[in-house]
Amino acid sequence: MKRRFLPLLALIAALILPALACSPSTIGQKTVTITILYGSEKKDWLEAAKDQYNSEQHKTADGSVIVVETTAMGSIESMNAILSGESQPTVWSPASDIYIPLANAEWRRSHSDDLVSGTPQQLVLSPVVIAMWKPMAEALGWPQKQLGWADIASLATSEKGWEDYGYPEWGTFKFGHTHPEYSNSGLVSVIAEAYAGAEKERGLSLDDLQDDKTRDLMINVEKSIIHYGASTGFFADRMFERGPSYLSAAVMYENLIVVQESKRINGQSSQLPVVAIYPKEGTFWSNHPYAILNASWVTDEQRTAAQDFLTYLRDKSQQEKALALGFRPADPAVALGFPLDTDHGVDIGQPKTVLEVPPADVINGVRDLWKQVKKPVDIVAVLDISGSMEGDKISTARSSLIDFINLLDDRDSLEVMLFSDKVDVLSPMTPLAQNRNDLTTRVSGIFEHGDTRLYDAVDQAYKDVQATGDPTHIRAVVVLTDGEDTASNTPLDAVVREIGNTSEGGNAIKVFTIAFGSDANTDVLKQIAEATGAKMYEATPETIKAIYTEIATFF
Amino acid sequence: MLNPLRLNRMLFGLYLIAVIGVTAAALFVPSWRAVSYAPLREIILPPPKPIEVSVLYSTEKEAWLTDVIARFEATNPHVEGHPIDLQIKKMGSREIYLAVLDGSEKPAIVSPASSLQISILEDLSASRFGAPIVTANDSTRCRSVLKTPLVIVAWKDRAQALWGSDPGPDLWEKLDDALTDPKGWEGYGHADWGYVKFGHTNPLKSNSGFQTILLLTYDYHHKTSGLTANDILGDSEYQKWFTAFEGTISQFGESTGTYMQDIVAYGPSTYDMVAVYEATAIEQAANAANRYGELEVFYPPATHMSDHPFCIINAEWVSPQQAEAARLFINYLTSHDAQQIALMQYGFRPVDPSVAINQTGSPFAAQKVSGLKVDLPPEVELPPGNVLNTLLDFWTRNVAR
Repeated sequence: MKRRFLPLLALIAALILPALACSPSTIGQKTVTITILYGSEKKDWLEAAKDQYNSEQHKTADGSVIVVETTAMGSIESMNAILSGESQPTVWSPASDIYIPLANAEWRRSHSDDLVSGTPQQLVLSPVVIAMWKPMAEALGWPQKQLGWADIASLATSEKGWEDYGYPEWGTFKFGHTHPEYSNSGLVSVIAEAYAGAEKERGLSLDDLQDDKTRDLMINVEKSIIHYGASTGFFADRMFERGPSYLSAAVMYENLIVVQESKRINGQSSQLPVVAIYPKEGTFWSNHPYAILNASWVTDEQRTAAQDFLTYLRDKSQQEKALALGFRPADPAVALGFPLDTDHGVDIGQPKTVLEVPPADVINGVRDLWKQVKKPVDIVAVLDISGSMEGDKISTARSSLIDFINLLDDRDSLEVMLFSDKVDVLSPMTPLAQNRNDLTTRVSGIFEHGDTRLYDAVDQAYKDVQATGDPTHIRAVVVLTDGEDTASNTPLDAVVREIGNTSEGGNAIKVFTIAFGSDANTDVLKQIAEATGAKMYEATPETIKAIYTEIATFF
Repeated sequence: MLNPLRLNRMLFGLYLIAVIGVTAAALFVPSWRAVSYAPLREIILPPPKPIEVSVLYSTEKEAWLTDVIARFEATNPHVEGHPIDLQIKKMGSREIYLAVLDGSEKPAIVSPASSLQISILEDLSASRFGAPIVTANDSTRCRSVLKTPLVIVAWKDRAQALWGSDPGPDLWEKLDDALTDPKGWEGYGHADWGYVKFGHTNPLKSNSGFQTILLLTYDYHHKTSGLTANDILGDSEYQKWFTAFEGTISQFGESTGTYMQDIVAYGPSTYDMVAVYEATAIEQAANAANRYGELEVFYPPATHMSDHPFCIINAEWVSPQQAEAARLFINYLTSHDAQQIALMQYGFRPVDPSVAINQTGSPFAAQKVSGLKVDLPPEVELPPGNVLNTLLDFWTRNVAR
């Protein structure tokens, strides 16, 4: 008899157990979920605030529990994702409000209203600064002398670099800012360069961008760039990990310097001290607006919930946490103090002035000018075509490599190398202006076969770019492989020693590696990439296109 | 002669009728309810319907209003036995009259920051509804409850460099020279401060911005009264000057309160000086000192007062009972207690002359912000609604971006 109840009990258990496994907020409670797409610079602060908020089970007036979901993304990338419809968040919080008129202008092409109406409240503030190693800043006369973009330009054009300042051992001046088409700090860097070139602090115009002196200053500063990149945080990490031989200075946010200096003071970093240079011509603020989108996918209930979360973020306790992470709180009632002090490399008496944010058409004009004058890249793209690449892998690798080629500029040069049981050059180093079409046709004809001679291929690619690449360009190798080395003559140690042993610091050839699929040896690929200051990526046929795109942001 | 028994019955009957009458009256007539036995009252009948009084008010006085409303409600106010239920909603001053005109709001009371907006509403409602729904000069329906003048608030070191401790009667001219000088602060010995950054709020959205452009216009024409539409539309020199001045402003704030918060949040790098209310400057002075340094207020040669009128709407959607409840509420706002709080805690100038502005502990006596003065410069005359609209239209066409 009893056995007849067993299926019933099992059924009840099957119904109840999943419910128990759910978070309390989902049991018998109405919920309203809001999604926030935000600039990654404030990740540590926002994620902690979100977790705390969600755990406190805040409710709307009609009793629905508010659930906040967040996604970090570069500011320009997030703008493009919203405009293309790829992402439909409730709230958009880029690093700066300069994107709001840009997004509205684009949105209005297909809508009758603005995407963001009014002036959204800001969450936290941080000025855009030039992070420089303290001894280097002192060699330039800081802090008595105020430094600016023009000083960076003259350092960059000097053949002798630091030798002119009495420090030949520091080599050439190596500078970094992120990619202006992907990242906020990169975009504001090139706008500031344009202002410095035009010798203006407001009213930058399209005419100014035509002026030779604007163009010349931008060319000069861009000459000293070691590479670009999508993330300001990555730049800061690399600079603070690898030290002054890798980068002399980079454009970033004040809060990143405070974080690094806190680490150094606490003994978690053994680097030299780093200081914030507030450009004397003026700078921009990164001010993290919280924009509840005026879009059809945002409901009234979500709007109310998003407002509630905003109130929470602007509350004094959350604002004080932001201060501890080096931000200047947007709430004026929170006093500025520790750790925003000279011990942590920053000065709240600065900046003394700001540059005027230009209108949308001028910002786009600056971006176009930068594309014309940016430092070109010479790359060897290395593709594994061993037998294990068959199927999806080879086809997605092929199409992603073609997309990658199309992201590069006509002034960039590319060599394509294939490896299996031997290493072949599909196309030698040639400017893309000359052979882009031919190259894409040839790449689409690649098929897989044979063994994996990874180390030999890396070794040869490195030597090729060394021999044929222009040292005044960014030089890089991008290697994709799906397996372990099976047949090379060159041992790994020898390869790592060769690519890592250079006196060129940040200007050395970068080897980016892509571990394609689960059989690739990520340890080896990480070792190769990091020996050159580059990065290893893990990819699948689904993500390979995005990975190639991200690597392209370095150039 | 009446039989004593019958007389007793009659008297008893009369007594009974009186008792029933009084009880019924106590239960049914709202104004008598207070005297009836409360538990019985609540069991037998629901409480009388509250009188709803909806109030649209401008944001600058939010903190004070929330504070005094709690105190008003604690006095258990009634009209004819009906409790008063205040429904308040904050809006921009211009939004308030636009919402009433387009019918999206039907309030009993409107309280923009200034009589400027009442004047405009009076003018526009006459054509919209056939007769004006507010009358600025009718003191039985429209009363100022707070005052605060428009001032220039600056970071002290920057103001000192620009015009010392007293700008004198040429304040706007001096400011105009500094703003339009391409050398900016370099001309004042501070090249590292960049260009001179002045700001005010958007006149279409916020009263202080509207007051600023009104004062600029009066000042240009060297008058403090009698501004005409021709002064705005018929004078190309004025138009050139005005648009050049306004063209130096990078960003117009949405509301005075949030604009002032930004000034303190960003500091002198972003705003050297701005036009806001005296009370707003007082509110943020301590925060500023804890972030970037001392603020100082300056009074323009002629100013304009935000007088925060509370006006009862004269329209079919406001019943006599609602109007009476509104009157009680406005009386409370002008009471000594409410006025004392406005001064001591929120930096507004009281309308009740018995509340001394310079009393011990007041922001004025304590000089909570450098430069605070009890005595004000003359006020400009409030022009008629059509002139004000002309000015707003001119700004919208030539400056707004």
